[in-house]
Amino acid sequence: MKHSSANVSPQPTSNQHERRQLLTAALAAVNEVLLGKPEQVRLAFACLLARGHLLIEDIPGVGKTTLARALATVTGARYQRVQFTSDLMPADIVGLSVYRRDEERFEFHPGPIFADLLLADEVNRATPKTQSALLEAMAENQVTVEGTTHALPDPFFVIATQNPLDMIGTYPLPDSQLDRFLLSVSLGLPSPEFEKQLLLGEDRAHLLARMEPLLDQTRLKLLQQDCNQVRVSDPLLAYLQTLLAATRNQRWFQHGLSPRAGLALLRCARAHAFIEARDFVAPEDIKAVFPGLVRHRLTVIQGQEGSAEEQALKLLTQVPVP
Amino acid sequence: MSHWRQHPLPWLIATVALASLPQLMTMPAPLVLLTLSPMLWRGLAALRHWRPLPSLVRIALTFAGLAMLVLSYGNLLGRRAAVGLLTVMLAMKLLECFRARDARIVASLTLFLCSTQFLFSQGLPMVFYGIGVSCGALLSLALIERHDSWGRSGQTPPSGLGLRRELGFGSRLLLLAVPMALAVFLLFPRWGTPLWGLPEQSLDARSGLSTSMTPGSIQGLFMDDSPAFRARFEGSLPSREELYWRGPVMWNFDGRSWSFGGWMRGLERQTLPNADAAPYRYEVQMEPNERHWLFALDYPGLIPDKTRLTEDFQLLRQRRHAITSLFRYDMVSDPGFQDSPELSIVLRNAALQLPEQFNPRTRELVERWRAETPNDAALVRRVLAHFNQQPFRYTLNPPLLSRHSVDEFLFDTQAGFCEHYASTFTVMMRMAGIPARVVTGYQGGWYNELGNYLLVRQSDAHAWAEIWLPGVGWTRIDPTAAVAPSRVEDGPLDALNQRRHAFDFPWMRQIRNGFDILDRTWNQWVIGFDAARQSNLLGIIGIEKLQSRDLALLLAVVLLLGSVAVVPWLKRLGKRRERDALLRQWRRFIGRLADAGVPVSAALGPLEVGAAAASHLPTQAQAARQLAQEYLAQRYGDEAGDREALIQGLKKFRARTEKHGS
Repeated sequence: MKHSSANVSPQPTSNQHERRQLLTAALAAVNEVLLGKPEQVRLAFACLLARGHLLIEDIPGVGKTTLARALATVTGARYQRVQFTSDLMPADIVGLSVYRRDEERFEFHPGPIFADLLLADEVNRATPKTQSALLEAMAENQVTVEGTTHALPDPFFVIATQNPLDMIGTYPLPDSQLDRFLLSVSLGLPSPEFEKQLLLGEDRAHLLARMEPLLDQTRLKLLQQDCNQVRVSDPLLAYLQTLLAATRNQRWFQHGLSPRAGLALLRCARAHAFIEARDFVAPEDIKAVFPGLVRHRLTVIQGQEGSAEEQALKLLTQVPVP
Repeated sequence: MSHWRQHPLPWLIATVALASLPQLMTMPAPLVLLTLSPMLWRGLAALRHWRPLPSLVRIALTFAGLAMLVLSYGNLLGRRAAVGLLTVMLAMKLLECFRARDARIVASLTLFLCSTQFLFSQGLPMVFYGIGVSCGALLSLALIERHDSWGRSGQTPPSGLGLRRELGFGSRLLLLAVPMALAVFLLFPRWGTPLWGLPEQSLDARSGLSTSMTPGSIQGLFMDDSPAFRARFEGSLPSREELYWRGPVMWNFDGRSWSFGGWMRGLERQTLPNADAAPYRYEVQMEPNERHWLFALDYPGLIPDKTRLTEDFQLLRQRRHAITSLFRYDMVSDPGFQDSPELSIVLRNAALQLPEQFNPRTRELVERWRAETPNDAALVRRVLAHFNQQPFRYTLNPPLLSRHSVDEFLFDTQAGFCEHYASTFTVMMRMAGIPARVVTGYQGGWYNELGNYLLVRQSDAHAWAEIWLPGVGWTRIDPTAAVAPSRVEDGPLDALNQRRHAFDFPWMRQIRNGFDILDRTWNQWVIGFDAARQSNLLGIIGIEKLQSRDLALLLAVVLLLGSVAVVPWLKRLGKRRERDALLRQWRRFIGRLADAGVPVSAALGPLEVGAAAASHLPTQAQAARQLAQEYLAQRYGDEAGDREALIQGLKKFRARTEKHGS
């Protein structure tokens, strides 16, 4: 499907209706590049709209970079990619000051973090010091180098990846750092039909190169604000609280979701509802984002089988929707 | 996790303790210890977070318990032993009660243990005991379920959930069972004897009058306030002076105690008062006492079934028909009847028999008096006057008497109660050559205006004398009345005008009397509901002369119908009625979908429900999806859609399941 992206080129003034249409188009565009993963794409967009950062845990070669690049392109974001290694230093990310002899002063050379969308590949390979530099920037939306604070671009989106299998020589992120990521998704292998489509189809690199920006940073910021308008009803809030309480009752997870995670859940659900073109949050929105929210935050209680995500899905089948 | 009051465990332990209480009171001390220690252990384990005992230890404990039971009871077949086994094992089950499943078993078994106690006693106190245990078990079960289900749904139980609500929930469940219980009670085939075949000596020893009388022997009875029997009179009540309830009659005196002559019991009464002319008609309801006597006022004119009337007007049940359960009989009495105007020589001798070399001082006194007053009646008056004028005291705590009991009583101690007076008087009469005998029984009774019946307690036990006068026949003489007339008028305790124990206040007695009405009602309507009453009751609704088999069949049908009627109610009871009409209809909608085989549950959001319905009910996909969308918008959005229309839509929706071949 070809969309009429030409006549909806970015305009400084735009109304909500138009923004919604653009968002839908953007989703469709990304789905065209990343085949058979509409849920993950929707979660990625929800994470973006909820002003969070995304953690992708998966084996190499399933399209993590593709997703990041596609997202960057359709949102018109400046894209940077940093491959994290054990010898990566904080300055390699945030940038450094260099003395300009002719001007007799230090000049700040911004690092790759000064981008609208940063792909931090294999984030657990870097030393904790470097990790914390990135994570601090994610939390504060600013970096401080040698006493000077530099603001990061406003819609600032980090996609970090981790390989869950290859753990040798890595520095696993501590829980407090993981909490900085709003959602965590796993792309997984494509289904045979989509894999066939992928094998026969065009090179992804070409597709990406042909992609056109549908949104811009201004619109993205407006969209983020639009999400705040999404209505949350009392029964829904009750449902959300029940879910939070359920994670804390020591039957499913070792320790439950924090209130901050609760806020994150609500933000994600709002964004998800907005993507689903609803102006109110439905229980389905909560259910859609809940596993991604729990995945990297909670540990399954001892004696129970399965991953945190599976446990979260099981929990969802037990809690009645009010 | 939550407050201890909402935790099932303390309630469960308390219920087990309460349920085993009656059994504990009859068990030997080691077994009591064995029963109590698991409760203690489990309580401490909860407080101190102990781990369950290793299974080997538990198995060892089980066998140790079994061994102790066998040692204590000989075998495990008797009722006491079997219930003991149940009690001990139930308590031990607490040791491994760490999961909801085990807790549920324990709570249910307390109910079973409670019901086994009715094998031993069916009195009113047992009803309160039963209610107590049931409440405890229901509360525990409700808390267990609540705990378990909240836990499973991943929610912490809300803190405000009160015990009253839990108990209310349990009671409502119980209420469902009431019609069934009533049906079983009314329709269960009843036999003359209890199903479990009470052996005659099985009841725990009960107090009551016995076959022999030693002065001082019925002393214990005066403290026993438990009812002996109750009598409801048709028409007027006899005056107190006539309320002599005749029981065992004693002929043989061995110098110390009285007993009735073995052969005397075999003599059947030949002439009876005319039952139709008798002025007093009444119905007696006797408490089980393991004895054979029936009590009646002088002189009984009716002989109940399986009973015989002896020459001396004792109503004796036949062998193997002791009163082991509540026993009712109708009786008439004619106080004006003349008993034995003629006395055979054999009986006369029996009524004059006295052992030699006992009570020489009395013999001397009587012989002196006899010489002075040859007239029998005058002699009797003189003896009674002697009791009256000498400083004789009526007391329930008389000094002990030794070999020459009559002498010592008459000359030295001069203090005693009815037995002493009756015994002494009879001995003196015999010494004087007047045939005499001792009659034991009850005197008086407490009239309950509310229930219009006379309650005779064990404490009303009394002994008096009867002498035979030529031409008059046997005549009742109550020497106690000569000493303490108030004994006859007011009862033994009021005669003393003192309290029996620290808690004996008038208001306490009032409460006891009120309780007795309940007791009697319970006896009359529940325990006394026998085959005859059952047949009467069924006769009212036109079912007559049913065989046991027919009754069982009828019962089965009623139970079946009852169950069918109860099921929908039961299904609804689990779910609290939702106040919000829309939500209520939505839940029913989901329920109907689930019934039609659509994989939906309460944990699904509206859109998921719509999608599931659409994929499983292709013909109604559109309608189902639309309803779900509309519901979602109205419940979670702020769209002011047509609420009523949606409710109606949900209400009318019926899943049409596809049938093959149609």
